[in-house]
Amino acid sequence: MATKAPDIARPGEQTDSQGPTIRIVATETDMTEAERVATPAPTSVALDFADDQVVFELDGLSCFYGGFRAVNEISLEVPKNKITAFIGPSGCGKSTLLRSFNRMNDLIEGAHVTGHVRYHGVDLYADGVDAVEVRRRIGMVFQKPNPFPKSIYDNVAFGPRVAGFRGNMDELVEQSLRRAAIWDEVKDKLKAPGTALSGGQQQRLCIARAIAVEPDVILMDEPCSSLDPIATLKIEELMRELKENFTIVIVTHNMQQAARASDYTAFLTMGEDRGGYLVEMAPTQELFTRPANRLTEDYITGRFG
Amino acid sequence: MERAIDSERPQQNAETTPRPRAEFERTLDAVRDNVLRLGAMVEEALEHAGRALMERDSDLADSVRWEDANVNELQRQINQEITVTIATQAPVARDIRELLALYHAAAELERMGDYAVNIAKLAQQLASEPETPMLRQIPLMEQLCRSQLRAAMRALVDISEVAAREVCARDDEIDHLYSSVYDDSMALMSVAPDRVKQATHMLFAAHHLERLGDRVTNIGEDVVFLATGQVEDLNP
Repeated sequence: MATKAPDIARPGEQTDSQGPTIRIVATETDMTEAERVATPAPTSVALDFADDQVVFELDGLSCFYGGFRAVNEISLEVPKNKITAFIGPSGCGKSTLLRSFNRMNDLIEGAHVTGHVRYHGVDLYADGVDAVEVRRRIGMVFQKPNPFPKSIYDNVAFGPRVAGFRGNMDELVEQSLRRAAIWDEVKDKLKAPGTALSGGQQQRLCIARAIAVEPDVILMDEPCSSLDPIATLKIEELMRELKENFTIVIVTHNMQQAARASDYTAFLTMGEDRGGYLVEMAPTQELFTRPANRLTEDYITGRFG
Repeated sequence: MERAIDSERPQQNAETTPRPRAEFERTLDAVRDNVLRLGAMVEEALEHAGRALMERDSDLADSVRWEDANVNELQRQINQEITVTIATQAPVARDIRELLALYHAAAELERMGDYAVNIAKLAQQLASEPETPMLRQIPLMEQLCRSQLRAAMRALVDISEVAAREVCARDDEIDHLYSSVYDDSMALMSVAPDRVKQATHMLFAAHHLERLGDRVTNIGEDVVFLATGQVEDLNP
């Protein structure tokens, strides 16, 4: 556990980062003995990150939509300044899992979690944690580029303005666009609408928008699924540059993308009750050359299902 | 931090739904068959070269030299198939290990074919010299090399780590025979200076067989890599 827990509670509210009260929801839905037997334990993985290198620590995390358990007792660690990829078949819960990292699932009616998501040691689902502040620190880029119907400049400036940024906005916009590797392509048309850019440029604009509020983590949910191969490779190269300053977690259907771009890969699949669970997490090079688990092997070699 | 891996080939289950990697598996099967065919061709070349050596049969030796072109051609074809498969199918995990192992095994087999040709050439040179009794270790080495080659190809098809390690361990027998050929050749040269040429040819033939045996152990190492993902030197 990290000793320096960032203060992400609403100002004025009493917090105790040494031991926040954990909100356990719906304990009666814990797995039955039969379900436990039906769900194979994840392959034990020799991933042992130093405490100060762990950004997220998931401890028996389950995510529910109403009575349906979409994510099943997942425990894993996400290392700092690395790219961690989640792969797995459709419906295995990887996007749900990703959204649990910044409480995006809170916005879905009937969604709740059990277990813990610790972010630098702080339980994100503890009482008093401000979900808005969580999402500022843990940004997200979505499957389809979704720039605001505003100018390129305003797309980037929007977040900082809302957050009450008082510094030099021009500088912040330029810096964010540069970090997203799109500055040279847009510097002469900052007043043009963001929606006028190509798909790949729009996605990099969305990354610039996410960066502008200076998050710690960027979550990416299939960020390249609507892009052509060249635009995809540019985003992957950008991810490699961004990991110097950010921790990146990406969900992708494109296994080659996970193989090319990530440092660690976690493979999820679904159990007989259709709930997603973790099969194996390993350094990417290892997972793609000698996976430890037969289910991983069958999936990445295309022999799944 | 070694991780145990599950290396068995996936079971072919008779399902009616289309298998997602059917095309890839057909290609892999075809490559595997071609490597086996290459192994059989090299084994035959070695058998003929050995017989040409023992029976002073220049024509048979000639045929080994001609047939080597087919070995080279098949190896080129295997290389091409594997290159295209890697480029178009993006294989990972056991699939990429198997393609790399087959690629390397084919290269080793091609080289073994060259050793068979070298032995055939020595057979022709010996046939043109006055007859000298063949050192008894040489046919033993030739038989051992062929049985080792068969066992290595078997281990490759079965992805049997155990069988591959056995093959590699047995290479010592060939090495011992070779060093005994060396001693006997030297002795022959010193007692019969008119037989220096024959003794040298026999020593070279044994040397080629010894090298061929080492190439067999390289295939054994390929099998261990395919089965475990680990690269090991099994013929130190």
